[in-house]
Amino acid sequence: MLRKWWRGQFYQLQSIVQLSVFIMFICMLTSPALAHRAIIFAYAEGDTIHTESKFVPDTPVRQGEVQVLDRKTGKVLLTGQTDDQGKFSFKIPAEAVAQQMDLEIVLDAGMGHRGEWLLRADSYLKGVRTATAPASTSTPVAAKTPAGTVDRQQLEEVINKALERQLGPIKEMLTELTVHRTSLPDIIGGIGYILGIFGLWAYFQSRRKKNP
Amino acid sequence: MHISEGVLSPAVLAGGAVLTVVGTAVGLKKVDYEAIPRVAILSAAFFVASLIHVPLGPVGLHLVLNGLMGLLLGWMAVPAILIALFLQALLFQFGGLTVLGVNTVTMAAPAVLCFYAYRGLLRHPGTPAAIGAFACGFSAVLLSGLLVALALISTGQAFLEVAQLVLLAHIPIMIIEGIITLFIYLFLQKVRPEMLEGIYAS
Repeated sequence: MLRKWWRGQFYQLQSIVQLSVFIMFICMLTSPALAHRAIIFAYAEGDTIHTESKFVPDTPVRQGEVQVLDRKTGKVLLTGQTDDQGKFSFKIPAEAVAQQMDLEIVLDAGMGHRGEWLLRADSYLKGVRTATAPASTSTPVAAKTPAGTVDRQQLEEVINKALERQLGPIKEMLTELTVHRTSLPDIIGGIGYILGIFGLWAYFQSRRKKNP
Repeated sequence: MHISEGVLSPAVLAGGAVLTVVGTAVGLKKVDYEAIPRVAILSAAFFVASLIHVPLGPVGLHLVLNGLMGLLLGWMAVPAILIALFLQALLFQFGGLTVLGVNTVTMAAPAVLCFYAYRGLLRHPGTPAAIGAFACGFSAVLLSGLLVALALISTGQAFLEVAQLVLLAHIPIMIIEGIITLFIYLFLQKVRPEMLEGIYAS
């Protein structure tokens, strides 16, 4: 009796192993990249906000609709469409700067795919100030100052601008890194959870079977 | 296939949740001791399948495997898919917890429907069963696409337009899923025929 039971268990185990080997084989045939979730991320550069939209892992969202909302009131500030690289850029609206709004940027990629990104006011306000300030002050000052002694404020503005330009790609990279991507521990952990849940279930069923 | 959070109206979300609860209850009733390992493995396979990216068509696509689950599990596919989707929402942020009900319905209902639709064919070993297996994998994805489009009506998107878009995008997946389902069926028939006989005995 016991022996027969063990043999049954062994066959079941064998079939499980065979099936999982087969499934793994299929997984190897297709590229084990990650899947289908729409994401959008945004960063400010000067007085412009750049957004980039993707289907995870790396397919750009073409002609996706982007909405920019005020987080507090939910008012739509502007809308736009992504280009073929999934990018969409816009000048920061004046009312957003004036009221220091946190911007909620929402992507609608169609077929029920939606992504969101929150851009806090303090992450773009600084850039707006440096980008708009020089227009009013720099030209007259530059004419007056003698060559050699550069006005300190002017120098700072030039440096800020150069830094903004140089840091652009780094900002983009950092922003992209904060997007949660599926990692191997996630995958293995998930499989572990599933087998654990069903294992527990099987355990309780087996106990119920023993004492009817 | 996963509908994101914040897209659907509360009424649709609630409807999906109710259907999922009912389906899960029916599915759990059907699970007996011997079936647990099968449900567990297919649940894990579904969980991972969404990570298999198929680089075809206009948008990124992934395998669904709900036809295979229907073929091997019938009603038991509902709890299996529910658990896998729950973990996907938690760990991968596919879909979301509030849309869990609707997403379960769009993927599990076709599995159950296909099980009953192709049961007749699958009972006759040989060519009819092979055709049934392929059709099961193929049409489960098709039905899922239609259900997604149906769920999106409530957001004001025109059904025909979305349905067309979803279905066109998923044609490669339908064919691939049909082939995968067929191969797994043939494999099981060769290696573990008693498993299939158990399902399609009566």
